[in-house]
Amino acid sequence: MQNSNNTADIISTVEFNHTGELLATGDKGGRVVIFQREQESKNQIHRRGEYNVYSTFQSHEPEFDYLKSLEIEEKINKIRWLPQQNAAYFLLSTNDKTVKLWKVSERDKRPEGYNLKDEEGRLRDPATITTLRVPVLRPMDLMVEATPRRVFANAHTYHINSISVNSDYETYMSADDLRINLWNFEITNQSFNIVDIKPANMEELTEVITAAEFHPHHCNTFVYSSSKGTIRLCDMRASALCDRHTKFFEEPEDPSNRSFFSEIISSISDVKFSHSGRYIMTRDYLTVKVWDLNMENRPIETYQVHDYLRSKLCSLYENDCIFDKFECVWNGSDSVIMTGSYNNFFRMFDRNTKRDVTLEASRENSKPRAILKPRKVCVGGKRRKDEISVDSLDFSKKILHTAWHPSENIIAVAATNNLYIFQDKVN
Amino acid sequence: MTFQVAYNILLLQAILPHRFFSCVSMGIKTRVSLDSRLSPSYPEFFERIKPQSPKGSFVGYMLGKGGKRKFDEHEDGLEGKIMSPCDGPSKVSYTLQRQTIFNISLMKLYNHRPLTEPSLQKTVLINNMLRRIQEELKQEGSLRPVFTPSSQPTTEPSDSYREAPPAFSHLASPSAHPCDLGSTTPLEACLTPASLLEDDDDTFCTPQAMQPAAPTKLSPPALPPEKDSFSSALDEIEELCPTSTSAEAAAAATDSAKGTSTEASAQKLEGPQESRADDSKLMDSLPGNFEIMTSTGFLTDLTLDDILFADIDTSMYDFDPCTSTSGTASKMAPVSADDLLKTLAPYSSQPVAPSQPFKMDLTELDHIMEVLVGS
Repeated sequence: MQNSNNTADIISTVEFNHTGELLATGDKGGRVVIFQREQESKNQIHRRGEYNVYSTFQSHEPEFDYLKSLEIEEKINKIRWLPQQNAAYFLLSTNDKTVKLWKVSERDKRPEGYNLKDEEGRLRDPATITTLRVPVLRPMDLMVEATPRRVFANAHTYHINSISVNSDYETYMSADDLRINLWNFEITNQSFNIVDIKPANMEELTEVITAAEFHPHHCNTFVYSSSKGTIRLCDMRASALCDRHTKFFEEPEDPSNRSFFSEIISSISDVKFSHSGRYIMTRDYLTVKVWDLNMENRPIETYQVHDYLRSKLCSLYENDCIFDKFECVWNGSDSVIMTGSYNNFFRMFDRNTKRDVTLEASRENSKPRAILKPRKVCVGGKRRKDEISVDSLDFSKKILHTAWHPSENIIAVAATNNLYIFQDKVN
Repeated sequence: MTFQVAYNILLLQAILPHRFFSCVSMGIKTRVSLDSRLSPSYPEFFERIKPQSPKGSFVGYMLGKGGKRKFDEHEDGLEGKIMSPCDGPSKVSYTLQRQTIFNISLMKLYNHRPLTEPSLQKTVLINNMLRRIQEELKQEGSLRPVFTPSSQPTTEPSDSYREAPPAFSHLASPSAHPCDLGSTTPLEACLTPASLLEDDDDTFCTPQAMQPAAPTKLSPPALPPEKDSFSSALDEIEELCPTSTSAEAAAAATDSAKGTSTEASAQKLEGPQESRADDSKLMDSLPGNFEIMTSTGFLTDLTLDDILFADIDTSMYDFDPCTSTSGTASKMAPVSADDLLKTLAPYSSQPVAPSQPFKMDLTELDHIMEVLVGS
């Protein structure tokens, strides 16, 4: 039933909201699909709340840049939820150029009993009106509406790769390859530029911004990562333009691992603050690293995601897989980190026990209630029974986007155009 | 923590409204993505790539006949050309690997014509790769003794390999003037590549097996024998890839055309001459008005091309005749050393602003030809 050749269905971002009740996905076709967790009912005590489709809307449309004669993709690069402040839900969604604030609200009552028009909305002949009545609100089938409340456009010359809501809930930032802008939610025709790494001479450009995020508690602090494997922490109180960083995180290169592709595989594809705000996690092509904000010269933990690819870098460079941007996520308690890999594998690392597991998101292995079996990639010559050899990996099946529920052990994994939701085993 | 499947949610082409909610959908549109990366041919692509060398590395497929390869085709016939790279001299495999990567990078930048803007991050990373390779070639080019002492400063070669690619302005100007390569540090320039070759050879072959030994190989490289072995390595390269469209050959042509009349460079001339036909083939296939360019000329044009940095207005400057000699000179003219000096002197001190693409001026070319032929 599912048409796998339709590239518009490829999921490009996944995000839980702050309570975990809602799960939003964006796809290449510019659509946003929101799932809502069903309330647990007493009679089905063994079933934890399932996620069902709550709302679907077209967030972005493809555009055409007439000046450059290039299309602007409608693909949703990122979705970020705002904390809930009233009955409606708000989220930010962005494509390469434009950020939009969407309001998702429910309507379950409608007014009935108008005087001047009948139930279908047709105007009534005033001559036929003999009495006046007060319209009343009557319950109706629940309808979920999504309306764009703000459109933040024309502020980015380059492609937006990140958005991040500030902890003051009044501002947010959007980052493209060379600049980061600070917005106020209420103001759409102005934004402050807080980081600009564009060189005067474009030929001198050797580094781009790859991801950016605000600190979860300190509204003046944010970090951004670069294609050279560095992370900069900036304080907006220091100056209006945060071109000079407050902290600079970089690990010295390991000379034994040096190759032609050292720079490319060091490019950081995602950076995430821990929920505590004490650590940041970065994902480069082969590893996930956890950094302590207080130590800039090296990460405190490094986890190998798929080191067996190190010998395949040339072919991965040729088919562009080396440029894949994997994301990484923390669990609610910052004790486990998760990231994706190829062949629909994703990996989880327990920071306390130092144990890691490789799981697969595939239809065959994912019947409901089935327990995910750990997978293993074999590197050497002898392949054990359940192992997969490196050469059999399917590099077109990559898991770039994953999300972890903020408080429970529920994870959402996007595998091309399928979304898998896994939960911790119920005893 | 064991994870189990709660259920699957499969996003279908048309999301069916849930029975509880009626979605106020604005219509689900399907658009074809232009992302070639996700084309279904990739699984095929990887099936065809099988490690050939006994150590299971992918180096095998990278050694190919030097002809221009289509981007998405990997003839299995390539594997027949494999010379067991891990057993052979590490320098050769390193050079060939580097050459392959250089070609791949060039093709990436030029063959890809998306309808949407190419990713700047990818472009910058590929550019950095090209610059780094070019810097290495330039450093290796300084092996050959140059007749013009240069005042142009070069960064310390040993460092340039370890660190991130040097600033482009450093790269742009001296690369157009290989004669300016510091004759003061030719030997050091060739030393680091040797040690690096060992490392990268390990990296390319079997990282697991070689890693424990790798740190020991970073010892200070050997001295004088490098130069001779490098020349012989070049000969071996020529034997292996007589028709390679190597930018390295172009660079070698650049350097050799500068009037070094030693035996070493005379040997290298054979390579460039054979490859010139392929060079021009490769060049002709590139878009834009590249007529005769060096490898450095590729890079400057690459980075300056409007396609890549569309918001920069680059104006055309005069083409530096120094680089024109590389493609056209077909024979060594030792007698022209002084003449060449005079021609080059005014240009060598002039810093080439990085924003100037090198455009061939035919009249200047004629002038240079006259000088070289020794009219």
